Amino acid sequence: MKKFICIGLLIAGLAFSFPELGYTQKVIRVGNAGAFTGDAAAPCMEIFNSAQVAIDEWNAKGGIKGMKIEHLMGDDAMDPAQAVSVAHKFCADSSILGVIGPPMSHTAQATLKIYNGCDLVNITTAASKPDLTEQGFKNFFRVNARNDVHGWNCALFITRNLKAKRIAILNEKVAYCESIAGETIKGLKKLGLTDKDIMQDTIVGGAKDFSPVLTKVKAFNPDVLFFVATTAPDQAIGVRQARDLGIKAVFFGTEGARDKKDFIGAAEGAAEGAYVYHFAPDVYAIPEASGYTKKFESKYGSLSGFGPPAYEAMNILLTAIDRAEKAGKLNRKEVLKNVAETKNFKGILGFPVTFDPKGDLEGGATYFFQVMGKEFKYITVMTGK
Amino acid sequence: MIHGIRTFLYPACSGNDMDFYLQQLPQQLVNGLTLGGVYALIAIGYTMVYGILSMLNFAHGEIYMIGGFVGWWVLHLLIGESGPVLHVSLVISLMLIIAMGMTGLLGIAVERFAYRPLRKAPRMNLLLSALGVSIFLQNLVLHHQGAKARFFLVSSLIPESLRLFQVGEVVFSFMRILVIVVAFLLMTGLTFMIKRTKVGKAMRATAQDIEAASFMGIDVDRMIVFVFLIGSALGGAAGTLVGLLFTQVDYYVGFQAGLKGFTAAVLGGIGNIYGAMFGGILLGLLESIATTFFPATYKDVVAFVVLILVLIFRPWGLMGEKVPEKV
Repeated sequence: MKKFICIGLLIAGLAFSFPELGYTQKVIRVGNAGAFTGDAAAPCMEIFNSAQVAIDEWNAKGGIKGMKIEHLMGDDAMDPAQAVSVAHKFCADSSILGVIGPPMSHTAQATLKIYNGCDLVNITTAASKPDLTEQGFKNFFRVNARNDVHGWNCALFITRNLKAKRIAILNEKVAYCESIAGETIKGLKKLGLTDKDIMQDTIVGGAKDFSPVLTKVKAFNPDVLFFVATTAPDQAIGVRQARDLGIKAVFFGTEGARDKKDFIGAAEGAAEGAYVYHFAPDVYAIPEASGYTKKFESKYGSLSGFGPPAYEAMNILLTAIDRAEKAGKLNRKEVLKNVAETKNFKGILGFPVTFDPKGDLEGGATYFFQVMGKEFKYITVMTGK
Repeated sequence: MIHGIRTFLYPACSGNDMDFYLQQLPQQLVNGLTLGGVYALIAIGYTMVYGILSMLNFAHGEIYMIGGFVGWWVLHLLIGESGPVLHVSLVISLMLIIAMGMTGLLGIAVERFAYRPLRKAPRMNLLLSALGVSIFLQNLVLHHQGAKARFFLVSSLIPESLRLFQVGEVVFSFMRILVIVVAFLLMTGLTFMIKRTKVGKAMRATAQDIEAASFMGIDVDRMIVFVFLIGSALGGAAGTLVGLLFTQVDYYVGFQAGLKGFTAAVLGGIGNIYGAMFGGILLGLLESIATTFFPATYKDVVAFVVLILVLIFRPWGLMGEKVPEKV
C-alpha cells in the first residue's frame, strides 16, 4: 500500500514539476497544421516551407528578444480525425503560442472548438468556407478571402473590367461552384443587370463533353461566359469546346483554371485571352515579395499560389507574438488579442491586411489573371470596392 | 401557367424563346449523334456478352477507359517535339488498332480469370465478379497512372483548316465526323460478320441456345472468348475515339460511360446488337436535346424517364425480341 502511495506521489510530483520547468521559456514555438502527406502534400508543404522562410528571417534577426522561434509540423493527412489529435497535441504544449492552418475547410471545421478551448490563435491561409468565421470562434483568422467574397469581386470584374452586358454562367453542381455562381449573380443584379441579361445553367464535373450546354450558351450569345468548374482539366475542355462551337464571348474561369499545364497546355491555344480569378496573388508582380520569392525558390524550388499567404500569415503571427513579448505578457491570450488587432499590415500580398471582427480579411481579395501565351498575366485585384 | 413552365424551362429568355430553342437544334443533333455513336459502341459490348452469357459485364466501362489510355499512350509516343512523326491518318489508325488489340486481349483475360471459373455458378456470382473486376481495373489504373487526366493534344495532329468547318450555323469538327464514320464502319463490319460469316452463325447459335450449340459441334468456349474479344475491342475503340473527340481521359471515365452504354443496351433491347446501336444513338440524341429545353442537369433525368417508359410498355426494349420463358 505504502509503495503505491509513494509511486503516486512521485508521479504527481513529476506532473507538477514539468510545467514549472517549461515556464521559463527559452524558445517560442509556433505550430503549423496541414495535410503534409497524401494527395494535398505539395500545396501544404509549400505553405509550411513559406512559413519557414518567415521564421528563418526572424531568427536571423535574433528571434524574439533573443528567443529562437521553432516551427512544429502537425500532419493531419487531410483527415479530420487526425486534425483533431494534432490540435490536442498543439494545445497541450504550452510553449506553442499560435498556429498556422489548417488550410482546408473540413479540417479547420473539425478543430475550431479545440483550438478555441485553449486560446490558441489559428491563421489559415487557404480554408475558404464562409461558415468557418460565422460560428463565433474568436481565435480563427484567415489571410485568404472566403468563398462568398469572390462572387461579389467577380461580379465587379465582369461589369467594370470586362464591360459585359450579357453574361452566361455555367456552374458545376457542387457546393463551392454553386456558391460562387450564386454570389456572382447576386452581385451582378446589385450592379444593375436583370434576369434577361443573365443565363445560368449547370455542368457535371468530369463529364468531358459540355457541347450540348455550350450550344445553348451560343444561342444566348453572351459577352462573357463565366465557367465555374472546379478542376483545370474541366475548364480546359470548357474553353476548347466553346471555341470549337464558335462562341466569341470572353471566357472567364475559376481559380481551378490557374494551372499552366492542365488549363493553358491542355486547351492547346483555345485558352488564349481567357481570364481566371484566384485567391492568391501573382507574387512576382508585387515588388515587396521579391525577397521572399528568391529565398523560397533557392531553397525549395518552384512556387505556386499557396506559399505567399502562408509567409504573410506567419509574419502576422510573429509580429503579434513580438508585441505580446514587448508588453511583457507572453501568453496565448495576449497573442490572440494582438492578431485580432492587425490593421493595415503591409506584407507581400499587394494590399494591406486588416481583419474584420469575424476574423475575415476585410473586403476579401480576389486576383484576376489573363492567359497570354503560356503564362497567366496579373491584371488586377478586387477587394470588394 | 404557361409562363410558369417557360420560366422553369428558361428564365433568361421568356421573350422570343421558340427561336432560342430552334436555332440550337441542328447543332444539338450533331452533338447528340456523335455522343450517340460512342454510346452505341459501348452498348454493343454489353449486349453481346449478355446475349451469350445472360450476364451484365460491368467491367466493360473500365475496358473502355483503358482503351482511352492505350490510345493516349500511342498518340503520346507518335507525337514528337515538332508534331506527329507519321501521317495523321496513320497515327489515328495505329491508335485505334493498338487500343482495340490491347482491350480485346484484356477482355479475354477478364473472361478467362473472372468469369469462366463461375460459368456454372448462379448469375448473381457472375455479376459480383464483374463488379469486382470493374473496381480492380479502375484502381489498377489509378495506382499506376494517378488521378490526373491525360490530354490528347489533337490540335497539333489535325491542321487548323481541316479541324473545324461550318455548314450554315452548324459547326462540324473533323473529330466528330471521324467518330461518326468510324463508329458506323465498325458497326457495319460487325453486322456483316454476324450475318454472313460462319463464325457469326456459330455466335448466333450459341446465343440462341448454348447447350444445343455445343451438341451441334460448336466450340462454345471459343465462341465466348470471341465475343469478349470483339465486344472489348469495340469498347476500346470507343475509348480512343472519345479521347480524340473530347481530348481527355482519366481513370474515372469508365464508370459514367459504362452506365450509359448499359442504359443504351437496355433501351434498345439487351441481347440485340442492332438494338444496342439504335439505343446508343437514341440516348445521345435524347441527352443533347433534353439539354436544349431543360437545365442541363436534367438531361439524365429525361434519358432515364424515357428508359423507364420504354421498360414499362416494352420490357424487352425497343428492338429486343419477346422471348417466351423456357419451362
